[in-house]
Amino acid sequence: MVRIYVIDNGGQWTHREWRTLRDLEVETRIVPNITPLKELQKEHIHGLVLSGGAPRIGLDGTLGNCAEYLDLADFPILGICAGHQFMARHFGGNVTPSELPEFGQVELTLCVDDDPVFAGVPKKSIVWESHNDEVTKLPKDFTKLGESENCKIQAMRHKKKQLYGLQFHPEVEHTQFGEHIFKNFIKLCGE
Amino acid sequence: MFHAERFIEKTISTLQKEITSKALIAFSGGVDSTVCTALVNKAIGEQLIAVHVDTGYMRKSESEQVKQMMESLGLNYRYITASKEFYQALKGVQDPEKKRKIIGERFIRIFEQVGRKEKIDYLVQGTIAPDWIESGGGLRDTIKSHHNVGGLPKDMKLKLVEPLRDLYKDEVRQVARALHLQFSERQPFPGPGLAIRIIGEATPERTRLVREACDIVEKEIERASEKGIMELPWQYFAVLIPIKTVGVHGDKRAYGNTIAIRAVQSVDAMTCHYSTIPHQVLDTISTKITNTLKEKVNRIVYDVTNKPPGTVEWE
Repeated sequence: MVRIYVIDNGGQWTHREWRTLRDLEVETRIVPNITPLKELQKEHIHGLVLSGGAPRIGLDGTLGNCAEYLDLADFPILGICAGHQFMARHFGGNVTPSELPEFGQVELTLCVDDDPVFAGVPKKSIVWESHNDEVTKLPKDFTKLGESENCKIQAMRHKKKQLYGLQFHPEVEHTQFGEHIFKNFIKLCGE
Repeated sequence: MFHAERFIEKTISTLQKEITSKALIAFSGGVDSTVCTALVNKAIGEQLIAVHVDTGYMRKSESEQVKQMMESLGLNYRYITASKEFYQALKGVQDPEKKRKIIGERFIRIFEQVGRKEKIDYLVQGTIAPDWIESGGGLRDTIKSHHNVGGLPKDMKLKLVEPLRDLYKDEVRQVARALHLQFSERQPFPGPGLAIRIIGEATPERTRLVREACDIVEKEIERASEKGIMELPWQYFAVLIPIKTVGVHGDKRAYGNTIAIRAVQSVDAMTCHYSTIPHQVLDTISTKITNTLKEKVNRIVYDVTNKPPGTVEWE
């Protein structure tokens, strides 16, 4: 059984991420973001989800031990919303308040067609959003994977490591291919 | 996947260990508290006392129906009328968070009274995941204080038991079906009741207006869905906006309140899409509400907000 934990940064949908993983037969738990990496490694996890967060922490917060996970983990990590913003900042990108924040339904356009996390997802699909801040400069080791009309960096990945960031929320019911994206990420963790 | 049968089995055995003396369950008659009651009843039987409080903010004939439900479920129950107490506590209160917290505290004080009289140590609540998530705490922001979580007074004497904490509404319904409860598909109704469907002060008169409007919205939408004109929404109701606008009623100037029609599609209440109500149905609802509530209401609006950015209820 694949074991993927959810790091709780205080998002409204942290528990939904846990539920989606559990529904897909993953062994999962929600753990506080101050959990040391060593403790997670002791439990032999195959991947991590960095949840969205309390208001504005993606902009300038430290998100507990998330930096340690991103630097040292040897398993795939999926950062969502504040988790994605923190990932961008940590690797030298920029996060600023959105000129036009996005809440609810948005059209996502994929910029690549060969990424394993988006395998089987059409070029254009409906995703749901809830953010006041966004990544405005991609970190140098990252590739942009998707965009929307008002947010140019909706999805990104590290060029060498299996680190993914998503501004939108694949865990909520209304995101059209959300479960599919999770399945792809689980597959990546299982390999 | 969520396995209702497995959940039922595990929960009953946990409850048997957790509850070692008499327990009280806060019974609103909604799906969450009914499922919770059925589970605890299976676990501890006679030791369970169901308490329903008529807060004065229930829907039309609702508390009477709840009484019948408690009878039909064969529960050992207490029915408490407390509308005067609730109206008094909310007098002059406009802030939605204050309303929710006052209601939450009132509930607990009533449960504590019953608890003292009947020597009860445990309070069982049908709290589900969105209730504690939205109530905030720790890193999480408070979206709204659900009366059963963020509204709990700090000095509460009863020990809290919440077997449905990790479940969402669709999962609670799965458990309800597995338990063969006939109320499994009831639409959600908030614990603070109609008090949070009145923007501003929840006076008895405003409650009368919104209760009537909610009843019309429910009946007309249910009728339309039975006829196959529209899909039954996940939740559907009316909100009273005490903003007055000008109208004309039989050659006479009218200056009345506004009612909003709210209906949403959802699975788990964490994201919602507003429901598409056909114009002919909106038309009937609009005419019925304004004709029934006469000079009190002369404008009807239709809420087309998703969650996010809105929430299902307005407060």
